[in-house]
Amino acid sequence: MATATANNVGHITQIIGSTFDVEFAEDSLPAIYNALRVQSETKGVKIDLTGEVQQQLGGGRVRCIALGSTDGLIRGQECVDTGQPVTVPVGEATLGRVFNVLGDAVDGRGEVKADEHWSIHRDAPPLEDLSTKTELFETGIKVVDLLTPFVRGGKAGLFGGAGLGKTVILTELIARIASAHGGYSVFAGVGERTREGTDLWLEMQEAKIGDTGKSVIDQTCMVFGQMNEPPGARLRVALSALTMAEYFRDKTGADTLLFVDNIFRFSQAGSEVSALLGRMPSAVGYQPTLASEMGALQERIASTKNGAITSVQAVYVPADDPTDPAPATAFGQLDAFLYLERSISEKGIYPAVDPLASSSRILDPQYVGERHYNCARRVQTTLQRYRELQDIIAILGVDELSEEDRMIVHRARRIERFLSQPFLVAEVFTGKPGEITSLEDTIRSFEEICDGKWDHLSEDAFMYVGAIEQAEEQFKKLQAKGK
Amino acid sequence: MANSRALDKRRKSIRNIRKITRTMELIATARFKKAMDRAAAATAYTERITQLVRDLTKTGLEVSHPLLEKREEITNGKLLVLTANRGLCGGFNGNLTRAGLKRWKEIQAEVPNCTLELAGKKGIGGFEFRGHMPDKAFTHFEDKPTFAEVDVIANRYLEEYTLGKLDRLDVVYMKFNTIARQEVAVETLLPLGSIGDDDGAGGGDEGAQSQYEFLPSPESILEEVVPTSFKVKLFKCFLDSAVSEQIARMVAMKSATENAGDLIKLLSMQYNRARQGQITSELMDLIGGVEALN
Repeated sequence: MATATANNVGHITQIIGSTFDVEFAEDSLPAIYNALRVQSETKGVKIDLTGEVQQQLGGGRVRCIALGSTDGLIRGQECVDTGQPVTVPVGEATLGRVFNVLGDAVDGRGEVKADEHWSIHRDAPPLEDLSTKTELFETGIKVVDLLTPFVRGGKAGLFGGAGLGKTVILTELIARIASAHGGYSVFAGVGERTREGTDLWLEMQEAKIGDTGKSVIDQTCMVFGQMNEPPGARLRVALSALTMAEYFRDKTGADTLLFVDNIFRFSQAGSEVSALLGRMPSAVGYQPTLASEMGALQERIASTKNGAITSVQAVYVPADDPTDPAPATAFGQLDAFLYLERSISEKGIYPAVDPLASSSRILDPQYVGERHYNCARRVQTTLQRYRELQDIIAILGVDELSEEDRMIVHRARRIERFLSQPFLVAEVFTGKPGEITSLEDTIRSFEEICDGKWDHLSEDAFMYVGAIEQAEEQFKKLQAKGK
Repeated sequence: MANSRALDKRRKSIRNIRKITRTMELIATARFKKAMDRAAAATAYTERITQLVRDLTKTGLEVSHPLLEKREEITNGKLLVLTANRGLCGGFNGNLTRAGLKRWKEIQAEVPNCTLELAGKKGIGGFEFRGHMPDKAFTHFEDKPTFAEVDVIANRYLEEYTLGKLDRLDVVYMKFNTIARQEVAVETLLPLGSIGDDDGAGGGDEGAQSQYEFLPSPESILEEVVPTSFKVKLFKCFLDSAVSEQIARMVAMKSATENAGDLIKLLSMQYNRARQGQITSELMDLIGGVEALN
């Protein structure tokens, strides 16, 4: 294959939705993943479109995904092969800035003067470079620390249907982790609301890191390809963000945080273009390459001996069905996953984490210690038994339970409520200041509830508190109000 | 979307539960009628004999009987709690156990020597779970307590009382007022005089007008009547308890059957939806595949 040069010019032969075909001279066919550029002005309409080569069709023709809108594109238009894949600026210069999928700054603060530009298509780190350290990553959220402990340098997923608070938890984690974190953070907005991105950007400018006086945004770069963008942009924006994070990992060796909201949109965008590229749809209409696309992306989010990337990803679960291929594929890639459950959010318990469906790889005595493990298991057993009893309670009433079971129900209802927690980012809505509960406090509190030390407190007292002492306080307050 | 097979399995198990609860309801209804008749028959006798004792004590005669006298110092107390042997009767056992426990704690605080006697497996279980071991437990009382069975217990109490081993007997049972209303009652049966005080308002006027002649002597009659009165009283507690248990079971099973029906309806809906969803997605896959091949 001939090496493509910047002067390699082809012509558009076909436009199908967000894909288009370009014909080049047979001897100068652009390589797969090369970026092609269309720049023209027809009848006063400016077109500046980047496409990415996906297939070589033979006869000098290539099929590309458009990373922007294909509106106004016409056959015969000139299309330049840039000779390389899409590159994004990387390094310190990107900090504090907001980018689109192509690495152009979109925050209106002028050009980014980066020394280096990296291609967004890279290989995953080789197996011998991967880090094997396993260490718990404390978040200060009770349910997360106890039941789904995050791994430093690992991947955590937030699964949930529409409106269960995935983005809120993600924002909360940014507020908690990034503000206490010394390294860099990268945020990828994939196919979600633009408004949420703006909110996050403004919030990060206000939030300070520890007591250094620096804003969180100064250590963060953000990449957005939101839901108004064409599928090509949503498909590649995660890679652009990941590339920036990889630079920090490989070149500075710093601990890097990567937040992705929402990884499902990546699969969804892939499915939108898949049929246009001529692939036969697979289960539930998804692309046949669903697993390999997800695998290629997730394998790159890895911690090496050089530095760590800790990532938190939101995963939308269509129709609350976790067996849907897209969330099911993402599921296998993660170290820790939180499953948000509608029935819990309906009870008004936030974060609506399902304590039985959520889990973590490191919830194992080997990593978290006997005490933490036993406590988590006790909490889960109690809740599991409560769930089993729920049908009986619904039919026969709570009076028919044996004394032991009644005690379990009593405690399980308290544990269920105690898993709620006021959030830092929700303070403006709830009027309750956020609570950061240390792991030690969390374990002790749950142990004491399981031991029956707090059986005398009413259920309300356990809602939205930090450590167990606050539940006691709240109980006294509620009693005083009752009188 | 829940797994349709799991939904179907759950629905089946609830159907089975409903079958049981519906049968239990029917059985309880039949048993309730019988128990009700027995209790009604005993009520007239009990009331009459209670009134007789009350009248006798009010005749102005200097009648005295050890069972009627309140003792100055109570050193030996006894608590008898009547519960059911079987569950599936709503709050029946729970309420009795709770009331019994409360009374037991009070007695323990007041009386130096106290013993606990329990009837019914459920009550025994409830007390033992909280660490109160009964000194005596009866599990042979079913829905038809006979007088002979109660007589044995009553005689033992009377004997202990006369020997001074027992100064006070409290009974916790489910008092039957009407079919729609039963309540937990805590009554002191020994010394007997205390009942006369409780029920005094009801038969007071009538009693004042009755005139009695005693043959051969008031003492000998009292000797007969007073212990019988106590036995009948105690027997009535057992009968009331049995009736109330059946009513409680009837009501509980009726609502359980209804709840199970509601749950089956809900699960059927979810199941049908899940099944239809599966069919739709399979069809879509098929059609999609065919379209793609064209």
